[in-house]
Amino acid sequence: MPQSVTLQREQKTDVYHNLGERLKETSRELCGIMFLYCSGNPPQLESRVRDFLQHESGLEIEVLKDSSTQTLAILLPGFTLDATHYQALLLKQYLQETMEDADPRITLTVFPGQVDPTPGVLKQMSESTRLSTSSDIHIFTKEEAIQEPGRILIVDNDDTIREFLTIRLKMQGFETLEALDGTSALELIEKWEPDLVLTELNLYGIDGLPFIHQIQQLPVENTPKIVVLTEQRVERTISQCFKNGVDDYVTKPFSPVELDARIHRCFH
Amino acid sequence: MVAIYYVMIVNILYFAIMGLSYRNISTIFRRSKYSSYNTLSGSELVPSVSLLVPAYNEELTIIENVYCLMTLNYPNYEVIVINDGSSDETLSVLISEFKLEKMSNPEIRGTIETNDMRGIYHNPDYPQLFIIDKVNGGKADSLNAGINFSHYPLISSIDADSLLEKDALIRMARMYMENPEEMVAIGGDVRIANGCLIENGAVKKVSLPRKIWPMFQSIEYLKAFLGGRIGWSHINGLVIVSGAFGLFRKDYVIAVGGYRGGYPGEDMNIIIKLHRYMLSHKLPYKVAFCPEAVCWTQAPDSYKIISNQRMRWGRGNLKNMIENRGMLFNPKYKVMGMITMPYNVLFETFNPYFRITGLLALIGYTLLDMTHWRILLTFFLLNFLSGYLLSVGAIILEEIAFRRFKKLSDLWKMLLFSALKFAGYHQLGVIWRVQGHIQYLRKNNSWGAMTRQSWKEESKTA
Amino acid sequence: MFSHLMVAYIFIYVCLGLIGLGVVLLFQMKISHNKEQKRREMYEQKHHDYFMYIQAHIEDKGALRLPPGKLKPLERKVIQDKYMEWIEQFKGEYRTHLIQLCRDAGFVEADLKGLSSFRFGRRLEAAYRLGGMRAEEAVPALLQMLQKGKYTSLSIVIARSIAKSAENAEDVLTMLRSLLSHGKPIHHLAADIMLETGLDASSILMKLLDDSDPALVKVGLVAMWGQAVPEVMPVLGRLVGSEEKDVRAEAVKLYLSSNPALKDETIVQLMSDRDWEVRAAAAKALGPLHAAGSIPLLVKSLQDANWRVRHNSAESLAALGEAGFEALCQAALSGAGIQREAALQRIELVMEKVEEHSAIEQMVAYNKNRLIHDRYFGVKQPIRRVTGVAAVGGDYTA
Repeated sequence: MPQSVTLQREQKTDVYHNLGERLKETSRELCGIMFLYCSGNPPQLESRVRDFLQHESGLEIEVLKDSSTQTLAILLPGFTLDATHYQALLLKQYLQETMEDADPRITLTVFPGQVDPTPGVLKQMSESTRLSTSSDIHIFTKEEAIQEPGRILIVDNDDTIREFLTIRLKMQGFETLEALDGTSALELIEKWEPDLVLTELNLYGIDGLPFIHQIQQLPVENTPKIVVLTEQRVERTISQCFKNGVDDYVTKPFSPVELDARIHRCFH
Repeated sequence: MVAIYYVMIVNILYFAIMGLSYRNISTIFRRSKYSSYNTLSGSELVPSVSLLVPAYNEELTIIENVYCLMTLNYPNYEVIVINDGSSDETLSVLISEFKLEKMSNPEIRGTIETNDMRGIYHNPDYPQLFIIDKVNGGKADSLNAGINFSHYPLISSIDADSLLEKDALIRMARMYMENPEEMVAIGGDVRIANGCLIENGAVKKVSLPRKIWPMFQSIEYLKAFLGGRIGWSHINGLVIVSGAFGLFRKDYVIAVGGYRGGYPGEDMNIIIKLHRYMLSHKLPYKVAFCPEAVCWTQAPDSYKIISNQRMRWGRGNLKNMIENRGMLFNPKYKVMGMITMPYNVLFETFNPYFRITGLLALIGYTLLDMTHWRILLTFFLLNFLSGYLLSVGAIILEEIAFRRFKKLSDLWKMLLFSALKFAGYHQLGVIWRVQGHIQYLRKNNSWGAMTRQSWKEESKTA
Repeated sequence: MFSHLMVAYIFIYVCLGLIGLGVVLLFQMKISHNKEQKRREMYEQKHHDYFMYIQAHIEDKGALRLPPGKLKPLERKVIQDKYMEWIEQFKGEYRTHLIQLCRDAGFVEADLKGLSSFRFGRRLEAAYRLGGMRAEEAVPALLQMLQKGKYTSLSIVIARSIAKSAENAEDVLTMLRSLLSHGKPIHHLAADIMLETGLDASSILMKLLDDSDPALVKVGLVAMWGQAVPEVMPVLGRLVGSEEKDVRAEAVKLYLSSNPALKDETIVQLMSDRDWEVRAAAAKALGPLHAAGSIPLLVKSLQDANWRVRHNSAESLAALGEAGFEALCQAALSGAGIQREAALQRIELVMEKVEEHSAIEQMVAYNKNRLIHDRYFGVKQPIRRVTGVAAVGGDYTA
């Protein structure tokens, strides 16, 4: 039977302190942690979670509760990041199936990993869970903790690509926005002033070289860097792009690691 | 009685052609489902295409269309807009929108006779766009001028009032690449854009037109393209590739002397000439229809304009048939001479006369002896039901392979209007054709009124 | 009379029957399709978190898990489609992980079974998806399927699947041979299919160029555009002397595009080749090679019957510095007809272009050209060509 610690209201600041201490004790071992928040504070949430996870993983888990915000902290000793993520998605599915209009928000990470389990970081994670506007499961990363993002605008008509790039770049701490076509991309660049535009060449509205030209002629303070990620493999197009000030050119199918490297090079 | 047999035979022929369409539909569906155009559309190995866009008084729609054409999913192509001496601001809106400048001494390599070119405009920022400004000379003349200037081995003629789907050209090119030596012309599927939501030069949401004239045409096009052309294409007997969107081998178009001016129906004319040329030189060839390459066009929505258009078609059709009467029943011209041309003359060109005389005879007959009203009724029913069956058949083809219309209510509407078509619209079509023939005989060769609506208004009213 | 009417009645009844059938079929199709679409959307929503999980951990060392719970057939389809979409987009390790997932989920196995279905539609679907999942174990069956069928657009679907899945070059070659055995000149398409391979393309290229079948050699040559493959240069050198007209032209073009060092007699030989494509390619290559000794040759080919050759010669002359430009001016002044035409055109282009640039060395070059130009045509007197440019001789091959 795993121990459970339910702390009283007056000790609320100490939840994260305790949690931090606990994690430091086990600092040699891997430990996944997720924060769960359900709006409306459904009854017996804690015991449901406990039952489900025990049944599911058969491992020793710990559930802590910040009673002021009703956010649960769940420790999964021995779990890697992807395993934690998988448990989170099972848990979410279970909650959605067993409780009507449950709207669980989950943020997760693993220690030792990208961040140190200081009370501040834990608190930040908990807060971002509670205040999250998206119902997607969120992975907390070092870059987020440091808060020094670059802004990237992703322009592509293909939903699959946009979704993947957004997940990936967000995990690396970039701030991202998406645009589906050339015209709306140009509007967004002017309003949002991203540091980098990651774009397909083939777009609705306006595309290709005219699109690149338009970006460079926009009345923004710093013209964004441009990285092209496209199906277009015609040599002449590629060389024309470079001539017209494109910073890098990657063809699909692409290797995400290579794309990361090229994006990072643009930022340094 | 003859009239009844005529109707039955015509319809059995229609059914036979549609039957061929049915045979091919599963292949068409599968090849468009299982072909990945993404890789092809970025490949160096796809042939380059020159898009030719003749424009006469198109100031309202031309900008949107050029933007649409410049964002096609295609690796290597150019857009050549030919301003055919417009009397409105077509040229100046283009120049100011794309900041074009007149090229000094551009290179023109073709030698087809055309009216004088006044200049060619270009902006290096839009490397793939050229505008030719020339003295008015008609659509065929404009296309010839475009051919003279074009740089690539394939040409594609596109109406300035049409929007291509992003994949349309690459789908056609895929078909071309599967048999590059024999494909001399490929036609695309033309659909009615009235009623659809248009954004950024692309059709965003497909729905049926609100007004009745475009609605009737919508069904008519569906029937003609899916029910008819797929079948004709199968036996290599296509007599027309729509002027709104077709792809051609430039060398052969030039070999047959380019487009013929002076008369409407230049799109049918070029195809007949190609057939003729290839058959008399004993070259293997194919004129194909590519239903998955879609072009959306604006259908005329008032009586006056549509009647003008149809009379023009009637005139052009008659002219083409008379010009090429030598091919009729000439075994040298194989399918073309033995089936397609006779079919067109008997069942398309002269169809109105047979129908009208048949109808008159039956009415006269019935008036003489009222007891024969049943025969008259049979005649009407025969006409109506077989026509309706063809419409239903075409809608099923659409449903099997394309499913452009998503809503159940669209299906109802199409079925309803297929029936309503026989109460008036169908008969008008017959009359227009006859009027066209009369115009031809009286040597009246005016183009008639053709007005355009801007695409933006179109999507607002829709 | 009655028998005639009977025929008409029968016709009418048949029509009525068919219409009724058609309408029922139509609604049935529409409704079931719309329903499937809705269920698909629902499943996509349901597995949204799972898809996010995959995308976030695709590079992690541990094995990725399969979607939780028991899946319905359509649900499996939705997930498989998603996997395949990613496989198409990613390279390397990412792709490998996803392919492994497809295997773990049993998708590959299911489609392998589908390959021996009685229904052609099912077989083709399986073939397409096995290609999408890069299932090398399906290659023999796919090859058989390709060889047995007629050549249609669906053969291309199968061929692409083979190219994607094949684990050894020999299978790709067999596929290409089978495709080309129908005698259609589909070299470009075949090359595009070949380039979908996950194998090292340059080794396949070498094999293609060495093949005894000229059709395969052509595919290899066509596929080489846009690919820098240094190890094939010697083979190219051999193919330049090929008997096959197309093969030679393609080989020469490729060979010259890599700017090789050329012997004088080779230049002379190429410039007087009977194939215009070869002459044009040679003329084009001489400019960037800075082969100043070839100026007389280029001036001569300004009179070539083929437009492309004239055009390229003029372009190369303009690229050969002062001497070349002077020769061009001379040709424009003293030459006649097409030679003069081609030269003038280029001169104007040069004068126009240089005016736009401002860099110093370009200014110097421009001034030199300007001097030469003025010497031939007089100061500040713009050259006007005879308008009505058209009479240049027809050539639409390019």
